[in-house]
Amino acid sequence: MFLLRYKEILNELVKREVKSRYKQSILGYAWVLLVPLINLVVISIVFSFFIRVPTGGVPYAMYLFAGLVPWMFTANAITSATGSVVQNNSLITKVALPRYIFPLASVLAKIIDLLLNFLIMVGFMIFFQISFQWTLIFLPIIFLVNFMLILGIGYILSSINVYFRDVENIIGVFLTMWMYLTPVLYPPEMVPSNVKFFFNLNPMTPIINSYRNVILYGVVPPWQSFMYSLGFSVVIYFLGLTIYKRLSRNFADVI
Amino acid sequence: MDTIIFKNVGKTFKKGQKLLLKEALLDMFKPSKSETFEVLKDINFSLEQGKTLGIIGNNGSGKSTILKIVAGVMFPDRGSVKVSGRIAPLIDVGAGFHPELTGRENIYLNGVILGLKRSEIDKKYQSIVDFAGLGDFIDTPIKHYSSGMYMRLGFSIAIHTDPDILLVDEILAVGDEAFQHKCFLKIKEFQRAKKTIIFVTHSLFLVGKYCDEVMLIDNGVIKYLGDPKIALEKYKTQES
Repeated sequence: MFLLRYKEILNELVKREVKSRYKQSILGYAWVLLVPLINLVVISIVFSFFIRVPTGGVPYAMYLFAGLVPWMFTANAITSATGSVVQNNSLITKVALPRYIFPLASVLAKIIDLLLNFLIMVGFMIFFQISFQWTLIFLPIIFLVNFMLILGIGYILSSINVYFRDVENIIGVFLTMWMYLTPVLYPPEMVPSNVKFFFNLNPMTPIINSYRNVILYGVVPPWQSFMYSLGFSVVIYFLGLTIYKRLSRNFADVI
Repeated sequence: MDTIIFKNVGKTFKKGQKLLLKEALLDMFKPSKSETFEVLKDINFSLEQGKTLGIIGNNGSGKSTILKIVAGVMFPDRGSVKVSGRIAPLIDVGAGFHPELTGRENIYLNGVILGLKRSEIDKKYQSIVDFAGLGDFIDTPIKHYSSGMYMRLGFSIAIHTDPDILLVDEILAVGDEAFQHKCFLKIKEFQRAKKTIIFVTHSLFLVGKYCDEVMLIDNGVIKYLGDPKIALEKYKTQES
């Protein structure tokens, strides 16, 4: 009911974010698609010519894209949510709005990018002649777990960022490290077995694996590890809400 | 009926909030000096619907904090606050405007933020534009607006939200005389429509002209609340 009541505000905030992002740039919203494509080309070159990774018969570019798109969504959404409260300081100190909506609006705006990138992915799949598998029906549930994890982290970081602006400086480095610890560029089979246990503690690992499995291989998500991610995400989401609720009371005093 | 009730309201700020992790970490090893500052001490008052209250006092006396608590963006540490009705905060109007978006886009954005529905804005749109006197500029990104145009648009949206309570913080110092005149006519109109208004101002002229009651506040304590003339007298003697 919270969402329904503030649907219009949320709607406008998302629109503001989307509309304003690429104003005063020639290519405008096309950047949403260009950035992942450029990344894709660069990484593909490195990994196709210098370092060969086994991808189970799928062209590396395709393999990469299926993991890179959800990863970039995750990273961009977390970054954007982290800065959302501080960026909206003029609203926070003047208008009584439910403060939950600021990180939420930033994450929602990134979902639009994700959907556009999925469209490009469909084009890729047709180009590489990857057949569309029935397992695609699992995408919404994988996305939902991904979304809760992002939003939970977003709530935690955005509220702490109000008190310590260090957070928004460190977040980029943190996300880069996280990407290398997640099987985005390489398959999980390449991880040495003696560190596998720690590797699997990363909640993004099953999420990225699941995206890939259902899109490229027609394999259902690895339920056991996926349930771990689901549990982790739910806990982080509610923890995030609790922390945010506590800290948001004093936002106007500190910001 | 009272629309605003403050009961034993107190608010304390921490002086110099640590905005850097480094400072916060370093301070953990220092003996904690509790540097706090009591902005409001035991504030009690109630305001009847349809009344206009002026709040006067020196800088740092706690005027704006009261306004922010009424607006619902700050919360008291002690005591209770009851505010009923839709609020239009004319505190730094145009909060939430996006400089890259056009006047039109910002009207919808800001209108919804202030509690209107899109359909309601559709109906009021022309009136908002006319009041702001923006004419052809409405489809220009507002970063190209002059500060006067910006304020006019913000003010115009805020008063079109059909508020029950109007919060005014030094706002009317901006805009040219013609626009100021329009604003005061609007405020008179609000008064006739039995809206509750709170002014926070340094302009004693405004207070004398528009307010039913005046609160004189000093160091977070209400020194006087009541007749505007007496409040102004007391304020002047306090000054000298």
